[in-house]
This record gives sequence, C-alpha cells and structure tokens, in this order.
Amino acid sequence: MSYYFTILSPTDTPIFNIAFGTSKGGGDGIARFRFPDTAQYMNQFIIHSSLDIVEEAQWTNGGMYLKHVDTYPPAAAYISAFLTPSGARFLLLHQPPQLPSSGSTSTLGASSLLGAAGSTTRASSSSVAANPTSPQTEEAVRQFMNEVYESYVKTAMSPFYKQGMEIRSPVFRSKITAAGKKWL
Amino acid sequence: MTSPGDGTPVKPPPSFSPGVARNASKSRYPDEHDATVSLDAELAETRTGSSPTSSLPATTAELAIRSASPQSRSGRSSTPQLARSSIGSPLDGRFDGSEDIRSLIIRAFSPTVAVHASEDTDELVRNKGFKGGFSELIRPFGETVPGKVVIRDSIGSSRAWEDYGVRFVNLKGFGEAHAGRDPGRDSSLAQMEEVLEKQLDSGENSLGGPISSKDVLGLPATTPLCKLFLRQLLSTTPAAPHETFGHPVASVISISSRNTAPLETLRQLYAESSTGDRRLPDWVQQEYLRYYVLVHDEERDDIAESTRLYDQMKRHFGLHCHLLRLRSSQCVVTDDDSTQVPSCEWLSPREHLSGVGEAQTLVDLGTDGTPYLFDSDVTAIKSFIRELIVQSVIPFMENRVAVWNDQVASRRRGISGRFMSMSRRWAGFGSSSRSGIGSSGGNSGNYDSTQNFYSPDSPEAILRKMADFAFMLRDWKLAASTYDMIRSDFGNDKAWKYHAGAHEMCAVSMLLNPLAMSAKIKLESVDQMFETACYSYLTRCSDAPHALRSLTLAVELLKSRGGSATESAARWAMRVMDFGLVESIGQILFMERVAACYASKTPATGAKWGARRRKAGMWSILAADQWLKAGKPSLASSCLEEAERLYAVVLEADGVFPMPEMQAFVDNLRHAVKVEYLEARGFDAPDKTPTEEDPIGTEETSEKLDKRSHRRSLIGLPATLDAGNLNMSPGARNPEDPPNDDFERA
Repeated sequence: MSYYFTILSPTDTPIFNIAFGTSKGGGDGIARFRFPDTAQYMNQFIIHSSLDIVEEAQWTNGGMYLKHVDTYPPAAAYISAFLTPSGARFLLLHQPPQLPSSGSTSTLGASSLLGAAGSTTRASSSSVAANPTSPQTEEAVRQFMNEVYESYVKTAMSPFYKQGMEIRSPVFRSKITAAGKKWL
Repeated sequence: MTSPGDGTPVKPPPSFSPGVARNASKSRYPDEHDATVSLDAELAETRTGSSPTSSLPATTAELAIRSASPQSRSGRSSTPQLARSSIGSPLDGRFDGSEDIRSLIIRAFSPTVAVHASEDTDELVRNKGFKGGFSELIRPFGETVPGKVVIRDSIGSSRAWEDYGVRFVNLKGFGEAHAGRDPGRDSSLAQMEEVLEKQLDSGENSLGGPISSKDVLGLPATTPLCKLFLRQLLSTTPAAPHETFGHPVASVISISSRNTAPLETLRQLYAESSTGDRRLPDWVQQEYLRYYVLVHDEERDDIAESTRLYDQMKRHFGLHCHLLRLRSSQCVVTDDDSTQVPSCEWLSPREHLSGVGEAQTLVDLGTDGTPYLFDSDVTAIKSFIRELIVQSVIPFMENRVAVWNDQVASRRRGISGRFMSMSRRWAGFGSSSRSGIGSSGGNSGNYDSTQNFYSPDSPEAILRKMADFAFMLRDWKLAASTYDMIRSDFGNDKAWKYHAGAHEMCAVSMLLNPLAMSAKIKLESVDQMFETACYSYLTRCSDAPHALRSLTLAVELLKSRGGSATESAARWAMRVMDFGLVESIGQILFMERVAACYASKTPATGAKWGARRRKAGMWSILAADQWLKAGKPSLASSCLEEAERLYAVVLEADGVFPMPEMQAFVDNLRHAVKVEYLEARGFDAPDKTPTEEDPIGTEETSEKLDKRSHRRSLIGLPATLDAGNLNMSPGARNPEDPPNDDFERA
C-alpha cells in the first residue's frame, strides 16, 4: 500500500505533500506507486480531480471525515478526505500494491522489488492494507486524519504561520510520518 | 468560477430554491452558446480559409453526411456557413448530441432484408455501374426510408418514426459471411482499428475542423471519429445464432423484364432460398416474408408486357409484389437529371477497408468513386422501398409479434407457464427420463449444446426472436419485458451466449425506453445486467466484439441519460480500457468518452457542486497526451483546448494549476503539442515565436494554440453572468472574493 497525503488550502493550493508507504506487516514505509517514475504527476491529477467529489460530499456528509470519497479505477487509487473548519482539506490517496500476477506488466521493473511487494501484500492481508474500502481501513484512516488534524491545528496556531502558507516545519513533517507509521 | 470560498465547508450551502435557479441557468444558455458558436465559426473559417488543400472540402462534406442523420444534419455541420445559420434554439442544441447517438444506436438495430436477385436482374443493374448487382443498388436507399413510418406497438398505440430504415444484404453473401465467420471474427476488432487509423490518416487535416466544433452549450460534442467508431462497432457483428438482428426478416426476390421464363425463375429462386443451396443456416427461422419484385427495363422492354406479367405475379403471389421501373443505361455526372447515390452508412469494417481502397484507385483514374443515378430511377427505388417497408415488412413484423405474444409469451407469463418452467428446472430430482428427450440431454432439452443453438421453433428461440422484433419495431417496453422473462432460462440451460445477449439487450431496451426516462429507473439493475452480459461474453464465450459492443452501448446510453448515470457510464468506459478490448486508438477514443461523460454531468440545480469538471479536464489532458504520443498533434491540440475550457471554470487563475507537478506536466504538454503541430504543418522552427512566422502561420497558430485569448473570451461571459444570475447573493459574493484572497495572504 502506497500513500500520498496532501493538505489543500481553501484555494486548492497544496500546502503540504508527503508520499509514504505502509509500515504494517513488514512494509518498509517507502511509497511504490503504480505509475512509472516519470508519471508521478498522476497523483496530483487524481487528487485534484477528486475535489469534484469532495465538494459534493461536503454538503451531504455531516462529519469532518468524509471517508472514502473517490476512486480512480485505472490505477486503483482510492481517495479519502477530511475537512477542517478553516476550509483546508486533507486528502489521502491510497493505492494497494500491484498483485504479483499482474506484476509482469508492471512498469516497476526489477523483479526482486516486485517479489517484495507481493510478499508485503500477503503479509498484510489481515491488516489495514489489503482492502482499501474495508471498515478497518476507514477506521485507520480516520485515526490518521485525526492525528494529522491535531498537528495541523498546532502548526496553524503558530504566530509565524499565516493561513494559506506552505507548511515547511520539519516537526510537522515528522509528526505526519509518525502518524502514518502508527496507523497506516 | 468556483470561488475559493465556495469550496469551504464553513460557508452555508448556496440556496437550493429550484425555480429561480432553473430560470437563471436557462437565461445563461444563449450567451454562452453564442460565444461558443461565434468562436467556432470564426475558427473554422480561418482554418478553411487558410488551408488551401483541395481534398479538404470533399472529406469534410463526406464526414458531415455520415455523421448525422438527415433530420439533424443541419445541427452539426462542419462548414462555417451552416454552423452559423443553424443556431436554432439552444435547448435543441443541447439534446442534439445525445439524441443523435440514441438515434444512431436505434438505427443500428434495424431489420435485415435479404435480397435474392436473378442473374438477369444483376446483369441489368451491373450495366448501370453497380458491380454488386441489385442488392448494392438498393442498399443505400434502404438505410433511410423516406417519410414517416408508422408502427403500432403491442398495446395498439401507434407512433411515427422519421428515421426508420432496413438493411439490405445479399442472400448470396449471407451464407458466405457465415461460413467465413470464425476466422474473420477475431480480426474484426483489428479491422476496426485499421479503419480508424485510415480515417485518421486520410482526414488528418479535415478531422481537425469537426472535432474541435463544440456543442452549442459548450458540452463536448461527439466527435465524428467517435461516431465512426460506434457505427463500425455496431455494424461489425455478423449474423449469429444467439440474436436475430442479423437474420432476414424478409427476402426480396427479383427478376427483370428481360427474363424469358419469369414465373419459373421466381419459383426456382424461392426454392433455392428455402431448400436449395441458398438455404440459410439451421439456426435461422425459415418462415420469413418473401417479396417479389419485377424490375422493368424502361429502355428496352415494353411496359405493356411487363404490366401483364406483373398482374400475373400478383395473382400468383398475392400482395407482396412490386413493379420497379428502371432505365438500363448507365448514368454519368454530366447527365441532366443525374443524382448522386448516397453512400452507405452502415459498412462493416471489412467492407470499409475494401471500399476505401476502391475509391482511392478510382480517384487516381480521374473518375469519381460514387455512382450516379437518374432522378426517375431514384424516385422509383425510393417508392419501392417505402412500399416494401410500410406495406409489407412492418405489418408482417407487427403480426408476428402479436401472434407470438399471444401464443408463446402469454403462456409463459401465466401461472401455469411459471409452474412449468419451475418444474422443469427441478425435474432433475425425480425423473431423469426427461433428459432423454433432446439429443443434448441438457437442462431443458431445447438447447443443442453440441452445436450451441436452440432450434428456431423452440419457445426460447421464438421468444428471443419476438423480443428482437419488438426491439426493431421500437417497442422497447415489450422487448425489455420479454428479454427479462427469458434471460434466466438461458442461464439454466447454460446457453451462455444467449444468456449474455438477453441480458445485454434487456438493459439496452430498458435504457432506450423513453417512458422509463422520467421514472426513477433502477440503475443498479441495469448495471448488474451489463455486468452479467459482459462476464458471459468475455469469460464464458471469449467473444470480445460482443462484449465491446455491450459495454459501448452501456457507456453511450447511460451517458445520454444524464444525472448520476453519467458516472456509471464513465466507469464502464474505464472498464473497457481496463479489459483491453480496444487497441491504441480505441483507448484514446474511450479516454475522450470518459472526459465527455464527466463533462456532461451538470451541477445540481442552483448548487455549484455536482459537476465533474476537474475529472473531465484530467481525462482530456490524458487523451491529449496519448494523441500526441500517437503522432496526432492536431487531435491532441483540440483535446488540450477542451481540457482548458473545462478547467477554466474550476481553476483560480487562467490556466494556472495549483499543483506544481501538474502545472509542469501541462506546460510541457502544451509546448510539445505546439511544436509537433507546427512541425506537422511544415514549420520546422520549434523555437520560433509566433510573431516571427509568416502571415498564414500566424493566423493558424494564433487561433489554434494561443489559448489565452480563447479562454478569456470563454470564461469572461459565463463568469460575469454566473455571478449575476446563478448566485443568490451577488452582492455578497463579488466583493467577497478579493478580500478573501487578501485575508489568506495577509
């Protein structure tokens, strides 16, 4: 499972980006997306396109955590969203690893790497990563989002931070990484 | 137009009052549509004006003819003059796109009429310049029956159709097509791809024009290429046991006045088609309508003689007769009353490939590829076809449907029928003797599992045929209920192709039924049926062409339904790409379709959310990227333009994406498209700025590639109008935007 987490300002500008992989079930925490390295812009395209759905879901869903809102089937990318009262949006793109069977067509290349990804799937099949729409995953993402929200509020309250500014704080980044490690 | 404040959850949702909002959105249409149309006309004008290629008008005209049904032709013409004069009411324009596709799909499933002509008839027609004989002569005219055709449905209400048609096939070709079916079948998809490629190569210049012409409302119009694809796909399927659309409903048996023994020849032709070597395969029901035609040669033979013969024919064969008076000499363009023969709309990929080649050689020889006919001949053929269809074929089909509905279907619908089918299903418990009835020993005994078809007089086959007849008569309600009734039977018999076909057509006829349009139709059940059909076709029968057909129909029909169905349509289009049913060009076409599906989703009334602009924009960008990789920069550029138009509404500033990597990618793409486009046009200077180019180039590129002027002119109008009309609190919104930005930055 690979994750791409973005915080968007109310004007859709990304103020924080991080890509990481799962740490559950022996994962090494490195993101391996299905796109080739030259096509990493796809993550941003998918996130951006899911804003259509987020905008719709925010009026129909009472909570701050909107759960799984959108899917991009060609790459099996799932988007979960979280709204903050200030209008910033947390978007998490999660992508289950490619199955070994279909790995032959993969653009990832090295077979050893693919094998590792396959074993990860099997090892983590009982935990969060296996099914992106399962209740367990929803719950894990919710925990993650709440933790991120807490850190975000603390960062946003800093006197040196102005709304809409990019978040460059290393402390915040490490906190997000820790949350990712803990829950996803 | 989506202001930043709009996206925030803290803001109260915009007003939902539907009445005001609807008015507002209506009043918005004309301006937007004016802007687009004028832009398009301008664009087309400069393009045609500045590109002096001689082949362009011909190809464009040909495309216009093919891409539109006659009654909607004026709606989407590719020439600027027509585009300007056909502005019409904006609402008409909006429905034009989807109605056009629906009409295309409806017309794809029209009755087949076999043509069985005697040697002397074919000889006569060959002298007129039609190498394929009589069937080739009347085939183009059968595709649109002149005037309205009135059809009565099962409950007795009648409805007139303007666009009714039949397909004429040569009975000789029918057997051959079936014999050569298996090798040709796998390659039919490849052939289709080849046709598309050819069309792209031949029309590289001309296709740019129609493709960039947008629907008047700014919704992306169906591109001619996409229609070509759809038409190819729908005409690619040969006659098969599991569906009866390709089976002849009637057969035209014709002789000419040159024949020395006319009645004997007619008898012989009949015998050939019912028992002789022209007999249709076993899975085709043999009791179809026979229609006798006497072709009279106006120039050589005596009409009194022919009339006498015709009277004799009427006495022998009853009412299904016609006297067709043709001139036997060949008509050339220079003749006074020459009329161009319309081109066939429904050509299968194979015919397309051979036909295209033929036309090219003819052009090389300096003659025109399309044959001409005398006016009087055209009138005679048209009235013959109208009489054939209105007085014989339609009543025959109505009659069959009524009889089968009465004798077979109602028995099944009744309580005892249900009990029968149930007891049959569970007959395996007690009596194993039942399985001895059929040679197959299958579940019902009617299905011949060794040859994979039902015999044509088994109730299952008759019900399927009745449903197909009802479908072809456009009585979708009856068709849907009949398909629904039999689809599970096929599953019990493990007749998987029948099973898939019934599910597919059940879903299609449910979607086509205009009465269910208003009611809340159960989209899930339709989705489920397509899912089943697709699984049966693909996994159980590995029949890719049919699977592709059913999924494409799903995409187009769900898209034309609007609302939440469009998302489902987009999902099916992605499934098609995922299954790998289409090759490279098809993939790109389906990307465009996904974009079109999302773009056609309109926001909920009064609200600003609910549209799928970003998704549509993303898919357009991806399609542009793919077109560029396929070496079609002009198509890429129109996709890119489309994407910018879609993004214009949701993006904060002109063409500035909030995400850096996206921005970089789009900038690169823009640049690459520009460079390739210029190279294709013959400018070998990628680093030249537009100002340095010669006048022609400047005109081209400034229209084509300088996106800023376009977008501004497009975004300008809707933005101001939107703020004034759509918004419930215009005073609050407009002054709010700038401070909002300031507040965040300060």
